[in-house]
Amino acid sequence: MSETFDIHFLIQTFFVALSGVPTALIVTIVSLIVALPLGFLLALTRINRIPVLQWFSQVYVSFIRGTPVIVQIFIVYSSVPLFLTSLFKFYHVSVDVYKINPIWYAFIVFGLNSTALMIEVFRSAISTVSKGQLEAAYSVGLTNLQAFRRIIIPQTLVVALPNICTVTINLIKATSLGYAMSLQEITLKAKVAANANYNYVEAYIDIFLVYLMLCSLVEYLFKRYEKHLRKYKTVAA
Amino acid sequence: MLEIKDVHKSFGKNEILKGVSLKIDKGDVVVILGPSGSGKTTLLRIINFLERADKGHAIFDDTDVNLKTASKKQIHRIRQKVAFIFQNYNLFHNKTALENVTEGLIIGRKVPKKEAVEMGKNALDKVGLSEKYHAYPSELSGGQQQRVGIARAVALNPDIILFDEPTSALDPEWVGEVLNVMKTIAKEGTTMLVVTHEMSFAKDVANKVIFMDGGVIVEEGTPKGIFTNPKEDRTRQFLRRVLPEDYMVYI
Amino acid sequence: MEKYFDVKYLWGSFPMLLPYLQVTFVVAGLSVLFGTILGLIIAAMKLGKSKVAQKIANGYITALRCTPSIVLLFLVYYGIPAIVEIFGVSMDTVDKIVFVVITFTLQFGAAMAEVIRSAYESIDHGQFEAAVSVGLSPFQAYRRIIFPQAFVVALPNFGNSFLELIKEGSLAYTIGLIDVMGKASLVIASRINAHALETYIALSIMYWVISIVIEQLFLQLEKLFSKGKQVIKPA
Repeated sequence: MSETFDIHFLIQTFFVALSGVPTALIVTIVSLIVALPLGFLLALTRINRIPVLQWFSQVYVSFIRGTPVIVQIFIVYSSVPLFLTSLFKFYHVSVDVYKINPIWYAFIVFGLNSTALMIEVFRSAISTVSKGQLEAAYSVGLTNLQAFRRIIIPQTLVVALPNICTVTINLIKATSLGYAMSLQEITLKAKVAANANYNYVEAYIDIFLVYLMLCSLVEYLFKRYEKHLRKYKTVAA
Repeated sequence: MLEIKDVHKSFGKNEILKGVSLKIDKGDVVVILGPSGSGKTTLLRIINFLERADKGHAIFDDTDVNLKTASKKQIHRIRQKVAFIFQNYNLFHNKTALENVTEGLIIGRKVPKKEAVEMGKNALDKVGLSEKYHAYPSELSGGQQQRVGIARAVALNPDIILFDEPTSALDPEWVGEVLNVMKTIAKEGTTMLVVTHEMSFAKDVANKVIFMDGGVIVEEGTPKGIFTNPKEDRTRQFLRRVLPEDYMVYI
Repeated sequence: MEKYFDVKYLWGSFPMLLPYLQVTFVVAGLSVLFGTILGLIIAAMKLGKSKVAQKIANGYITALRCTPSIVLLFLVYYGIPAIVEIFGVSMDTVDKIVFVVITFTLQFGAAMAEVIRSAYESIDHGQFEAAVSVGLSPFQAYRRIIFPQAFVVALPNFGNSFLELIKEGSLAYTIGLIDVMGKASLVIASRINAHALETYIALSIMYWVISIVIEQLFLQLEKLFSKGKQVIKPA
């Protein structure tokens, strides 16, 4: 551990940590793009009790929620290459699986992880939108798809928004585990910078500050959007 | 027995009570009428220290208590003598009907458990709930819950019971049974101070009616006097609004 | 490099890992104990009248909600000795588990503060009024009427936070604590990184089973405590 607190290093490394933000955000956004529609659909399979699929999503949610993210990362990180190697060998693709950018693994892990969380979010949100809404939509001649797109989904989103915010925040935080896949995000970048002189205290203060800013900002944006939705779309929560 | 002197209370800039005084004798059944927002409920809550007055006194059997600065001990002593019936019953959700009644006896009054259970059962019998000793509030209708609320108050054998709109949260079908219970305990000589919109109760049971409006007592008198011959304009207007057309004649 | 999947290593991992569950549970148990106390204090600050205390409590909760466990863990692991050192005290001999418990106490405390606050606020104030009106002291009212109801409301969220704690606790291996996760890393290292997948799957199954057991346990507790006692929902 370094002998004295290095302010200069603290400031310098803050920007190093900051440079990891885009990676963290890309992983978060891609995961959400995968998880939102997939989570919604799988939530529907549970609500409508679609055989096999509902059973699958139940086990899937249970496993993801029941195991640490870090273990999920290690499982994906050690199984996907095995799988790809044999696949590539079979099709004679000459790509070295060990040179794949780790961000792809991050997409897989965090996409799978947040899909499971979204299933739960939407499951409870959809159940709060009353059945009468769907019946009313049918009664005025909307098709199933129209009813969902125009009536059910907008209402569900408003109800689900606070929980989607929580999932997003947790997702951003979870990207800090990307170090296990050598993902160049906030934590790893700052930590590497600290390795030279053992300025770990300073580095972790920087990392802490970056996450604090990032999460506060995301929370603020969600709150504003929620307000906006509640204002312009009259929805009973 | 209970005298209230010059009670003032504001919430922010809103002056709810502007100097209210009243006197209740033993065995009185006093009904307070008045439009909503006139300060009736606040007055009741102040007497039981659920709200602190900005100014005012309560004289209870010759002990004078400052309604603004009363000590914990004084408050406790007054609450021992005064029971309260809430508009939305406020039964303890985590206790059965019987436990609701005995809670105050055992914990507040230190009555031995066996004795308290006996008293509790008697109180519930009196309000017609002998079958419901062990039911939880969630298993009772609104009318039954409010009757437990009354039993809970009666069991404490208080000097006076304050009723804060006891029937206004009830579905119409349950109002009658609660009013009947109130009539019964009134006939037994219980001193009662009742805020209600039930004119029939005021007419049939009360021996004194107070009309409040805008934080002051506008008029008080016997039910007959108030209903048939109100002296103040405001009282007349209020009664015309709340009573059926032919009610005056009917009295 | 020979890499293939062998179930033998999966089963073989269990006897090696299981004894270390003890460490995992000790960390979780101590963190729950101290974290709940901390949560009570912060919730009290948030519900109290002092504006300064409210600000501090809110700031604390926000900061901890925004900090990844691993970052908090290292902040504690490196930061506390650095601060203590200023006063001339060395923490070199302090066991790693202490830092882990401090970390998760801080985190669990923040989560519990919110759980306790929302449970408390879900109880209608009329319950308190009714209690004092039948002659209970304010303390008795809290102990006998408010707390038992708030407890039932808080139970599911408490269970969730507890599960979260057990899972996040797995990160303690990064500072070298040997719990189930730490042992798994050692086992993998001893096999020169071969058959890592089997070990991790074994590990995930262990966590999964623990989670399901805890979940069911809390469901049963909820049933037990709310038996016939429909909570909240003022008539």
